[in-house]
Amino acid sequence: MATRTIRVDNLARIEGEAALDLHIDGGQVVAAQLNIFEPPRFFEALLRGRGYNEIADITARICGICPVAYQMSAVHAIENAFGVTVEGQLRALRRLMYCAEWIESHTLHVVMLHAPDFLGYADAIAMARDHGDIVRGGLALKRTGNELLRLLGGREVHPVNVKAGGFYRVPRPAELEGVAENLKIARDRAIDLVRWVATFPFPDYERDYEFVALRHRQEYPFNEGRLVSSRGLDIDIADYDSEFEERQVSHSTALHSVLKRRGAYLVGPLARYALNYDRLPGSIRDLAAAAGLGPVCRNPFHSIIVRALEIVFACEEALRLIADYEPPLEASAPIAPRASVGFGCTEAPRGICWHRYAFAADGTIAAARIVPPTSQNQPNIEADLAAVATPLVDQPDDVIRARCEQSIRNYDPCISCSTHFLKLSVHRT
Amino acid sequence: MTKSPRRLLVVCVGNPDRGDDGLGPLVAKTLAGALPADVRLTCANGDMLGLIPQWSGVDGMICVDAAALLTTPGRIHRFDLATTELPRDMAPPSSHALGLAEAIALARALEQAPRHIVVYAVEGAAFAGGAAMTPAVATAAGEVARRVVAEVESLR
Repeated sequence: MATRTIRVDNLARIEGEAALDLHIDGGQVVAAQLNIFEPPRFFEALLRGRGYNEIADITARICGICPVAYQMSAVHAIENAFGVTVEGQLRALRRLMYCAEWIESHTLHVVMLHAPDFLGYADAIAMARDHGDIVRGGLALKRTGNELLRLLGGREVHPVNVKAGGFYRVPRPAELEGVAENLKIARDRAIDLVRWVATFPFPDYERDYEFVALRHRQEYPFNEGRLVSSRGLDIDIADYDSEFEERQVSHSTALHSVLKRRGAYLVGPLARYALNYDRLPGSIRDLAAAAGLGPVCRNPFHSIIVRALEIVFACEEALRLIADYEPPLEASAPIAPRASVGFGCTEAPRGICWHRYAFAADGTIAAARIVPPTSQNQPNIEADLAAVATPLVDQPDDVIRARCEQSIRNYDPCISCSTHFLKLSVHRT
Repeated sequence: MTKSPRRLLVVCVGNPDRGDDGLGPLVAKTLAGALPADVRLTCANGDMLGLIPQWSGVDGMICVDAAALLTTPGRIHRFDLATTELPRDMAPPSSHALGLAEAIALARALEQAPRHIVVYAVEGAAFAGGAAMTPAVATAAGEVARRVVAEVESLR
């Protein structure tokens, strides 16, 4: 039988370098491999021998779009190790900082990266000619997230104001009140965005994922909670290694994370939403229902709606936190290092970001482990690709390619975080 | 007859801590005080998306940026976007940060781009963190600054 090979030399609108090999044999997809060939960056190794107070600034450099996730998981791990609990307004400010990251990261993905897939545009620039108001609104929304992040983090990319115990400087109420006015406009724009993306044509496709997310006793999760899954997992974050493991695979320089007993699992917006639906404010649940979503959503293409909902949530939560803000007396809690091991796990826009550090008595880092969201989702990305391509095997290669690219972007993958470019090859025999 | 532009913006792009990428900031430093008071001079680094709102109401924009090496470090390229497309494959692709060419293309699609855009790009050779600027690039910065002053005069 004739062999056909389709090659896309680079897939835009993902962060990082990777390739996809799709093997079709006898009308069946027999293999789908996400081949990440970007060299590992060895952040865990370069942290060793550094002081605990350097972690937040070093790990912020892992990602330009979700540095807050790395900083937050890191400072929580340090505080866990040294027996410090950060509460009150300092905790609230951390949650506010996470709101900023979700707004700017999710908006970039929803409007600039993913929406063009659903509407048949090559990119956001082509889409902007027909949907200028949406793109302008998206840029303004992202700008508000950046503004808030700049205020809290000192700058919007790789913030420099985060430390173990809190911050170097906390904002004055008047500074936050200025952003609040823009957040109110941003919230309305985000609601419009939910309504817009809900009108997209969605592939009729669901999979029975095992969702994994943080779950907090009261809040929709950002910074803390227990690790729970849709199949009964409910553990302290310190017990991550007892249930999860990272495996090397020959076709990827990024590790694959799996549940030891059940294999692939899914982290990110769909998982957070399904496992924390009851933690969402009624206004968000009503908006979800109007967008056609129930309490659980298993169609990965609907992740664009859930991301848009999470932007609305982040705007509302930010407004609530700002309304309740009273400047803390101290910008940070005191920290005293000790020989210890600490764990941190927070909800990056793409899913849980788990950290473990071992410290010497003077706070020097003896060992570091960082598990980013994208490496956790890789097995499911591959499973999705095989599944979405199967009904399309008789279609032209460019149809298969477009659906596969759209599927990959369901995950808003950050290949750079997990170890840049996606090459897509379809091999038919 | 086309009305001459009045509101002008000079954008110098680059990171002073990355060798030849510091060209833009160096040109900005040279231009400080050398431009008419009503001409706005700004520096930019990283994601160019955030620049688009600043272009609203601007008639003419001159951008200065370092470029990947083609043949000779310090070689100056001038792109008048009225007649030439800015190459969009000069920077490594990233979903998380739009380069100058993508930002200009997006602003044009949104009808928010200045009518006149001229880009000066200087070929660099050293872009590593902490690298020293290549002498030929530093020399080119002075020449680019002189050309920007002349460009501003012609646009006014």
